[in-house]
Amino acid sequence: MKKVLFISAAFAALSLATPALAELKYKPGEDAKFTWANLDALKKVDLKGETLTIFGPWRGDDEKHVQVMLDYFREATGADVKYSSSENYEQQVVIDTSAGSPANISVLPQPGLIADLAGKGLLAPLTADDAKWMVENYGAGQSWVDLGTSKGKDGAKNFYGFSYKTDVKSLVWYSPENFKDAGYAVPKTMEELIALSDKIVKDGGKPWCIGLGSGGATGWPATDWVEDIMLRTQKPEVYDGWVNNSVKFTDPAVINALDIFGSFAKNDAYVDGGHAGVASIDFRDSPKGLFSTPPKCYMHHQASFIPSFFPEGKKVGTDVDFFYFPTFAAKADLGTPVLGAGTLFTITKDSKAARAFIDFLKLPLAHEIWMADGGFLTPLKSANPAAYANDAARKEGAMMASATTFRFDGSDMMPGKIGAGAFWTGMVDFVGGKSSVDTAAEIQKAWDALK
Amino acid sequence: MAEQIIYAFFTVIIGVGGCFGYFYGSNWLLDRIFPANASNDSSAVRNLKMQSMIRPWLFLGPALILLSVYLLFPVVQTFWLSFHDRAGDKFVGLANYVWAFNDDQFRLSIFNNILWLAVVPALCTLMGLVIAVLTDRLWWGNLAKSLIFMPLAISFVGASVIWKFVYDYRGEGQDQIGIINAIVTYFGGSPQVWIALPFWNNFFLMAILVWIQTGFATVILAAALRGIPEDTLEAATIDGAGPFKIFFRIMVPQIYGTILVVWTTITVLVLKIFDIVLTMTNSQWDTSVLANLMFDWMFRGGGDFGRGAAIAIVIMVAVLPIMIWNIRQANKEQSGH
Amino acid sequence: MLNRLRLEPSRILLNLAVIFIIALWTFPTAGLLISSLRDKNDIAASGWWTALSSADRKQVGRMKGSADQVEKDGKFVISGNLFEGGDGTSGKVSAFGTKVQTPSANAAGSTVTLDAGQTLTVNVDGSYILTSPTKFADERGGRIFFVSSQPPRFTLDNYQSVLFSEGIGRSFINSLTVTIPATIIPILIAAFAAYALAWMKLPFRGLLIAIIVGLLVVPLQMSLIPLLKLYNAAGYFMGVPSKTYLGIWLAHTGFGLPFAIYLLRSYIAGLPKDLIESAQIDGANDFKIFRRIVLPLCFPALASFAIFQFLWVWNDLLVAIVFLGSGPDQLVLTGKLNALLGSRGGNWEILTASAFVTIIVPLTVFFSLQRYFVRGLLAGSVKGG
Repeated sequence: MKKVLFISAAFAALSLATPALAELKYKPGEDAKFTWANLDALKKVDLKGETLTIFGPWRGDDEKHVQVMLDYFREATGADVKYSSSENYEQQVVIDTSAGSPANISVLPQPGLIADLAGKGLLAPLTADDAKWMVENYGAGQSWVDLGTSKGKDGAKNFYGFSYKTDVKSLVWYSPENFKDAGYAVPKTMEELIALSDKIVKDGGKPWCIGLGSGGATGWPATDWVEDIMLRTQKPEVYDGWVNNSVKFTDPAVINALDIFGSFAKNDAYVDGGHAGVASIDFRDSPKGLFSTPPKCYMHHQASFIPSFFPEGKKVGTDVDFFYFPTFAAKADLGTPVLGAGTLFTITKDSKAARAFIDFLKLPLAHEIWMADGGFLTPLKSANPAAYANDAARKEGAMMASATTFRFDGSDMMPGKIGAGAFWTGMVDFVGGKSSVDTAAEIQKAWDALK
Repeated sequence: MAEQIIYAFFTVIIGVGGCFGYFYGSNWLLDRIFPANASNDSSAVRNLKMQSMIRPWLFLGPALILLSVYLLFPVVQTFWLSFHDRAGDKFVGLANYVWAFNDDQFRLSIFNNILWLAVVPALCTLMGLVIAVLTDRLWWGNLAKSLIFMPLAISFVGASVIWKFVYDYRGEGQDQIGIINAIVTYFGGSPQVWIALPFWNNFFLMAILVWIQTGFATVILAAALRGIPEDTLEAATIDGAGPFKIFFRIMVPQIYGTILVVWTTITVLVLKIFDIVLTMTNSQWDTSVLANLMFDWMFRGGGDFGRGAAIAIVIMVAVLPIMIWNIRQANKEQSGH
Repeated sequence: MLNRLRLEPSRILLNLAVIFIIALWTFPTAGLLISSLRDKNDIAASGWWTALSSADRKQVGRMKGSADQVEKDGKFVISGNLFEGGDGTSGKVSAFGTKVQTPSANAAGSTVTLDAGQTLTVNVDGSYILTSPTKFADERGGRIFFVSSQPPRFTLDNYQSVLFSEGIGRSFINSLTVTIPATIIPILIAAFAAYALAWMKLPFRGLLIAIIVGLLVVPLQMSLIPLLKLYNAAGYFMGVPSKTYLGIWLAHTGFGLPFAIYLLRSYIAGLPKDLIESAQIDGANDFKIFRRIVLPLCFPALASFAIFQFLWVWNDLLVAIVFLGSGPDQLVLTGKLNALLGSRGGNWEILTASAFVTIIVPLTVFFSLQRYFVRGLLAGSVKGG
């Protein structure tokens, strides 16, 4: 039996010995929109023979993007970088870190999960220099540092999560041609948006497509709505308080936000499929209603990643476009808040290569490559906006840069049992007919039950 | 690629060969150390006695070791964890259990689990038996059984897509892509969100498991039916027994043991039913069951191992009656031998 | 053959009943199969059963842009065919419209007047002529909505994108490397254990059986962390990687054993008592009895278990991602297909096609093992033995 072990080991070693030679997608030095000087600097870091394992959420097309970016790190440093992912990667991160065999770097989209893992002492803190760099170089830098900061096992606050790759959530998708055919204009304020919705209803259409279905994560699209509405009705401090539960779910501010969301999603005249459909229609199918003939709906509130679920051949900018989820004219003092999400890189198993990789993420080049590859937004001020793959991304990037308030997805920051549990299920119940007061009480009860 | 295939081939040979080697080797060794054909009679008798004492453990050894490592050890660990806090550091006594029994979600899950237990094992076994008997003498019976068996071969991800096309809901007046709603609207009804109908949605989820597991019951029971000696059936037919009499008087008693095996296996499976609920509803609309609750507490958002473990222990305690019943059966058998 | 149940009406009834049950059981799968052969945009747009018949569908086409205009008789003309350029579909246009809200406002063949003196004609065959007194300026042509009758349309694209994805062949081999030993090893171990528990004299037999039944219910998810910890410690101690093929074989063996022992024991215990006793009297030891008599006799049971274990291991993702690495040399087929689904869950076309790609091997195994479920095997070998 022991023999088998050794043979398996030899087999593993064998496969290690032949790493595929990476071919860089964008030839160094060729396109001036990339900061190529970074690559030369990176070549001074020698990691030959070092293996760096990265565990992240990206699969499918996204994995191709991340590999393109990683190739530059491989090429310059000589490190053997192994990226992997899996469907239930959040659970797998918990399993791997608890069992003591995590990847060097784990990429997590939920600050709440990072806080949980850090509290159990399963994450290696980043340095004070890393935090300082982020304050200086990211737009709204301090808020990004705060996002990645939480309490370690010893109770001391440390910086754990390095934000890299962000999404903008405050977007409403629509078909410009459908708007033109019907004579609708893009609304500038929330009041106009509601008026437009009413007009569409009067014209015999349905203004919204909302779908909360997402298999094991059913309900999450609704949390984005509520968070966006919170930012448009309350001061950012109230939002922050809500996220850490110093403002309870049962607070009138939150109930109000739920009710406003309800006025869209629970209004059978407003949504395609009625409120019963909202809870069960899959979020991947829901935007397809924009493109049907005649349209099932005219607008769809969703983050910047959603174009990958549009029918094939639909070009963002011409066939479909987005506008900023507007603010209430009556609450102009709140400015233009933007809700975002993103991924944070944490070190789950410390090594020289892991630290070098975090340093790599500070280079504008590391951002520009993925920007050029698509589906990537960055708050890094020194990254060249010309590198964005298309105008839509540039527009989203500008929206993020011009935000007076930028807040991270609240449900991602709440404890996992709430942000990836009670909040989701609560929203499904809410859309299904439960009152806002009962829903809020239920979620708050779940929060209170946490130790 | 060729290298990979050769490599895979050899790992397979070594893995399986090692296992064969153990059983042949250890038995050979036993026969060598305690030879049954020893020179004098008394030592031969003694050796035979030793052989019959040791051999069962040679047979059972690998199984017992693997069971202890892979199942018993985690059970002990879980038991220990269930008395500790979320990170498994601090002893909290019965707090996790107290919490569980006061938790609405937990009580709901217990209720749903009981519902599942009452419906699924009985329905699967019955359907399996009926199909096995009906197809037993059909010339295309094997094809029929394979078709019934097919759902079992489909992965849970595939199954969840299949059932999406059954239960899917679209608003009134639109093209339905779920077959049930299409039928309902065809006959003038209004479409329903089937998986969100409280209480009844449990049964729609159960239908999926019945659909999958009937294949299991059919295959096992069909194999058992094939094991009934031809002559007993012939004798019954010659005696003029009708098909129903043959079924109830001859077939069922002969395969009674297998029926119980099937029923027990499905019962146990239902106790830990997880994937269907996760992929179809994620415990929403009051469809939560214990295994999903456990999974949520263990892994969602960093995890609370204490509470997750407590729920796992509850699942395992629920199997006790089935265990006791099986001991009784085994003892009855033994006395019958 | 026996001629019980040979009464003709009951024979027909029997066939009908089985056909009905089969239809009920395969209907959902048929939906999956047909969906997997449909265009990816259609899957979530209309019911799969509608794919079988030609149906009137509301569609959208785009006219050519200003670059293609020609001047004729003082008018600017853009002409073309709605079925051109797209995905090669053809059909018959019954009605058309220029606004998305009214896609079937005009009958095919009619000419409508648009703003600024433009006229548009769309014919049944899909050809259109757009004229204007002034030069067209839009580079991008306008949309035409039309209702056309579409013949059933199927495609193998979904299978292509799954079957020709990079590294799928290797993950297929990896899956076999995991599955074959993880099926055979537990059968061997369980068969020996089952025989011991059924026919050999040993203390605490009832208790052992009960414990094995009890272990059937251990939820897999619960044992992952303790076992992975153990693997890491063992790997560290022996200086080998903790995620190896041996590790996953043993894991699958461990998880499959309770069911295997339980199933095989009940079968072996049901073997005729005199068969084994007479062999014992002949002086055969238990190893010999097991090999020569029991093993051949319990082939149907072994085959049934083999099928279930094979299926479970083949379709497993959870154990594989925890106990086996995810590099190209270890990633199993389910993991590979899962990676194709993208970060935010799957597109239906990949889900449907990959469900059928994974089902092929288990079904082959099922058919090849099925011949062992033959009546009389038991009786025959008793007579022969």
